[in-house]
Amino acid sequence: MKQREPTTKVPYNSKNEVDIISNLPGHIIDKILSHLSLRDAVRSSILSNKWRYKWVTLPHLVFDNQSVLVSTQDQTLVKNKLVNIVDHVLLLHAGPIHKFKLSHRDLQGVSDIDRWVLYLSRGSVKEFILEIWKGHRYKLHSSIYSYQKLVHLELFNCLLKPPSNFNGFKSLKSLDLQHITMDQSEFEKIIASCPLLERLTLMNFEGFGLLNIRAPSLLFFDVGGVFEDVSFVGTFNLAVVSIGLYVNNGIERNLGFGTGNLIKFFACLPHIQRLEVQSFFLKYLACGIIPGKLPTPCLDLSYLSIRINFNDMEENMAALCLLRSSPNLQELELLARTEEQNTAFGAPNIVENFPSFSFSQLRLIKIIGISGIKQELNFINFLLLNTPVLEKMTVKPASTDSGWELVKELLRFRRASMFAEIVYLDP
Amino acid sequence: MTEADSDIIKPEMLKAYVWLQTSDGSIQQVEQEFAMYCPFICQEIQAGMGSSKNYPISLPPRVNPAMLSLILDYCRFHQVPGRSNKERKSFDEKFVRMDTKRLCELTSAADSLQLKPLVDLTSRALARVIEGKTPEEIREIFHLPDDLTEEEKLEPIKNTMDDPRIRLLNRLYARKRKELKERERLKTAEAEEEHADERSVDDLLSFINGSNEDSRGTRTSKTKKKNRKRKDHHKTAPPNCTSTSNITSCSSNSVNMDKKELDARHSMYSNPLLHGKLLTDVCNATKLLDIEDDGLAAEDEFDDCDLDDDIDPALKEQIDREVEDFARRLNSDWPERMQEILSLGQQRRPLQVTINGNGSLRRFTSLDQRQK
Repeated sequence: MKQREPTTKVPYNSKNEVDIISNLPGHIIDKILSHLSLRDAVRSSILSNKWRYKWVTLPHLVFDNQSVLVSTQDQTLVKNKLVNIVDHVLLLHAGPIHKFKLSHRDLQGVSDIDRWVLYLSRGSVKEFILEIWKGHRYKLHSSIYSYQKLVHLELFNCLLKPPSNFNGFKSLKSLDLQHITMDQSEFEKIIASCPLLERLTLMNFEGFGLLNIRAPSLLFFDVGGVFEDVSFVGTFNLAVVSIGLYVNNGIERNLGFGTGNLIKFFACLPHIQRLEVQSFFLKYLACGIIPGKLPTPCLDLSYLSIRINFNDMEENMAALCLLRSSPNLQELELLARTEEQNTAFGAPNIVENFPSFSFSQLRLIKIIGISGIKQELNFINFLLLNTPVLEKMTVKPASTDSGWELVKELLRFRRASMFAEIVYLDP
Repeated sequence: MTEADSDIIKPEMLKAYVWLQTSDGSIQQVEQEFAMYCPFICQEIQAGMGSSKNYPISLPPRVNPAMLSLILDYCRFHQVPGRSNKERKSFDEKFVRMDTKRLCELTSAADSLQLKPLVDLTSRALARVIEGKTPEEIREIFHLPDDLTEEEKLEPIKNTMDDPRIRLLNRLYARKRKELKERERLKTAEAEEEHADERSVDDLLSFINGSNEDSRGTRTSKTKKKNRKRKDHHKTAPPNCTSTSNITSCSSNSVNMDKKELDARHSMYSNPLLHGKLLTDVCNATKLLDIEDDGLAAEDEFDDCDLDDDIDPALKEQIDREVEDFARRLNSDWPERMQEILSLGQQRRPLQVTINGNGSLRRFTSLDQRQK
């Protein structure tokens, strides 16, 4: 065997230079390795004798663009290389794997993933993250549904089809599904069979249009996509909701139902603290009867963000209803959907006729993307008049077109709060 | 002082002191409220120690006076209430700016005092030192002995648990080595002096291409995902449109690969044509070993049998079959993919040179810029 030339050793092994790091306790070395990318961690095996097998027990395996670098155009080659790396690491690894993340920009939903999913199902994975950045939806291998220890599941661009004997993820607390396809009944089944589910993120889904959320432990719900209806059952702990409806049509069908969407939506959200109404969801809320006030006020709501078309009368009314039902609101954000507001006709000034009420807690207001039309100014005026403890209102127009006119108007408005400052931001 | 000591646990004793003895025998008095931040000291105090100079808390041997004073600085800052996260973060950042030797000592000392936040901070700092460096650089920084021979770096994985998977892998490695040896022999091996083993070993792990900045690459890609998540950007293209394929412009700056490696690669990639399609992926799989090192290839003493711990011939035959199976499994893919591989066999060759370039990083950043 050929030995290394002694010359390379001498400078590093002189007596006063002790190898301190290798003598650190094992759990610290594990910790250091866990802060490295998988690539650097695996490479540590050739540092020295003491480091040879340190990495193999790493509980977290992350295969992403940082940990696996492949630069070639040839798709077949890229795929082979990536597949081999994952195969290798899984073969060499010893001990429990708590986290498995596969998110490489150059990996399509190849069938090789099946055997990794299957292999991992024999262990006790707590966190499973699979993101397919290119190509078609990857049909997730059915063994995923037997991961009993799963706490966090995150999927991107996958096709889900739980088997009929799927019993749910009993430990799952966090579920993040983006660009996924699944059936209505399967979606409902998955949500309903995760009793501990606290966080649910849904973005750009296909195959189901009714968001029936039956999740008693749910605290956090973030959704964005095309759907027809949303309803909550027993979600009494839900505190943070961010909801965006991506289409402006197809909502009208809900008209004619007894109560109207606004009342229905808030019925199961008694403890909501933060709410973001995004894209066209206010339009959904404005369908049906819009009461002046919700039957039960949202007493815990402290942050509210609404994307609104100020020219749409129903939306204005829905927003006002919401504001009026949130007596403890501290922060408000209004984002104008300017692209629709350019319609020539203006809605009647409903704000003026709205019974005034006082926001006793509201301290911060942000108004973004306005164009300076009358409806917007009315709304701002209304807010300034009714917020006795306002500290700061930030106004940021969509473009410079309105310019000085808008500033002049803003200056004129009377303010209920003597401390309020108005900050005008350049677009 | 002694009077106060009996009441030391009472919270109202704001300016209480505690006596600590470091490994060198020296004893010092420090403010209790800061020292209490270390669980180890806290437990000792509760056990009644440290109340006087005669009964000091003797700290673990890994805590010397210099480290103790650093740790107390850390505790003093973080014990003060009302500091913003930003302030704490910037303090932490400055705090760990020290040479790696001290950083290691500090990690060790903090660990022995069970001061978890500081252990997290310092081990993260140590990871940052290691990040993206070549093994040679890491060895130099930490004075690690380079006590692995080239062969050891490639040695079969220890199979203490008699794990059949490892056995298969070892067989595969061994076969690979043998092939490489053969080929090298035919090639009348060029001078086999050792050359930068690090880079090739990186290759071996197929985790090539590292540039010290790749962490930045990921961070930006994270942002990208965040953007994607913003609902108001709901017009984001479907995932298949975000494909990087058109940007995967292969960097040609892979020049830093040395010629010998190239030769090795070429001989390897021509392999499928020589050895038939089944071996293609096996070769790829064990590429790490292949390209590794010419010195190794010339070694004669490697043999399959070395690797299996005295197995009887019947079992051996069975293992051989398993190895074949394993190879086939590595290769398991759609038939058309197979065709593709075969037809691409020739054209693929020139592409090999790109593997070592650091172009990939640039590629990803440019991708991110495009997406913003």
